[in-house]
Amino acid sequence: MKKLKEALEAGEFTITAECGPPKGTDIAEMLEHAKHLLGKINAINVTDNQSAVVRIGSLPVCRLLSEMGHDPIFQLTCRDRNRLAIQSDLMGAHILGIKNVLCMTGDHVSAGDHKTAKPVYDLESVQLLQTVAALNGGHDLAGNEMKGATNLYQGAVVTPEANPLEPQMLKFEKKVKAGANFFQTQAIYDMDNFKRFMDRARKFNVKVLAGILLLKNAGMANFLNKFVPGITVPQGLIDRLKAAGKEGALDCGMDIAAEQVRIIKEQGIADGAHVMAIGLENKVPEILKRAGIA
Amino acid sequence: MIVSKAKERQDVINMLEGVSSVFLLGCSECASLCGTGSPEALAEMKESLESIGKKVTGMFVAKTGCQVLGTKVELKANKEEVDAADAILVMSCGAGTQSMVEVFKDKKVYPANDTAFLGNMTRFQHFDERCSMCGECIIDKTGGICPVTTCPKGILNGPCGGTNNGFCEVSPDIECAWAKIYARMERTGELEKMKQIIPPKDYSKKLSPKVFVIEKKKEEK
Repeated sequence: MKKLKEALEAGEFTITAECGPPKGTDIAEMLEHAKHLLGKINAINVTDNQSAVVRIGSLPVCRLLSEMGHDPIFQLTCRDRNRLAIQSDLMGAHILGIKNVLCMTGDHVSAGDHKTAKPVYDLESVQLLQTVAALNGGHDLAGNEMKGATNLYQGAVVTPEANPLEPQMLKFEKKVKAGANFFQTQAIYDMDNFKRFMDRARKFNVKVLAGILLLKNAGMANFLNKFVPGITVPQGLIDRLKAAGKEGALDCGMDIAAEQVRIIKEQGIADGAHVMAIGLENKVPEILKRAGIA
Repeated sequence: MIVSKAKERQDVINMLEGVSSVFLLGCSECASLCGTGSPEALAEMKESLESIGKKVTGMFVAKTGCQVLGTKVELKANKEEVDAADAILVMSCGAGTQSMVEVFKDKKVYPANDTAFLGNMTRFQHFDERCSMCGECIIDKTGGICPVTTCPKGILNGPCGGTNNGFCEVSPDIECAWAKIYARMERTGELEKMKQIIPPKDYSKKLSPKVFVIEKKKEEK
């Protein structure tokens, strides 16, 4: 199995998945899930205090997954660190053998479980990409020379269904200019919409992995539509999940995810897929199997 | 203007534990417009404190409470009332309160208000925060709308994934700063400018405490 950068540069349809470190030191279940994914995916994202909820840090978990044989993608947000801490962590990632970093601004603390915290945002995603590019070039953000540069493959995120879309596209362009090599998108469900987005994204020399979020049931789909900006689950899919009933909903969701991956691969819509199963990472191999991959 | 909010009355009462007499000071500028330091607000505070047995030795609304020397001169007329009080309760912003700390070296001085933000009064007694005094104005690059202040994440280069039909994921009451900036720069024909990456802010400009002295111009002969 090729690693992320090799796979994307070789033009192979690339698969990434995602795992969220737990709150607390018992990491056995997460590692067990990650083991199921060995040899099935090209790389694995490790989230960074996702949804602004305190958990184990992304970097040490990346290292554990790397030791397991994975190619981890270090998710790094600007919410909890200033530019000094960010640069330290990036250099730290390099010496720990981490090859990929996904640069994000980060969910606001108001979404999380420490609502009275001071959000940092000394930098934001575009500037974070520039920071990685600077460190890769052997200089820190203040222009000081480093003893040994980093060598990190730079990722960014984009929301193809953002409303309004134009400002989002403008930012996409800035992220490319700032050094992004690859993008992982927010969850997409409407393939026609996504194709339109990709028509525009293809004008830039970057790789795009389509975000595939496993729908566990109709309730989850309704929740996404109501509360998560930038995600729209079409009514047709919700009806299918409903019709599958309580027992069959998850299986139906896996079918839907597999169909999406298959379409994106067969029609060459994007360069790969980023499969998010939120705690059900053990289902990812089966989704990929149904999609005709591996 | 500096927007101030009255503290919970119980918090003020707790602050005044062991204090039996107070002098009340308001401010005719921002705090009066906010209703937290106006003559009416002072009268209400007097009544409230007297109802729990505190003595109010006197009260005065300063013209500009943050102007230390001017307020010191104004208060000369109230010297006896201030002297008779155990503490001064200041109904202005934090700057006005600390003017009193500077003028009355040995007197207890307490704040009756919380200082909230630099606000625009957009409707009567409705204040919106548009500027956070970052020390380095960049709104020439953002269509005159400040993302440092009006985007909860202070993002300088475009909307995050939480932009939601023109509103912000942080609160449905907040408009997405970047949706507004885009719309305005589209109207003013400045979208090309919006493609330029804005570098990280220089936070050394925001280091506190700050001092600013206007230098006198040399007289021309």
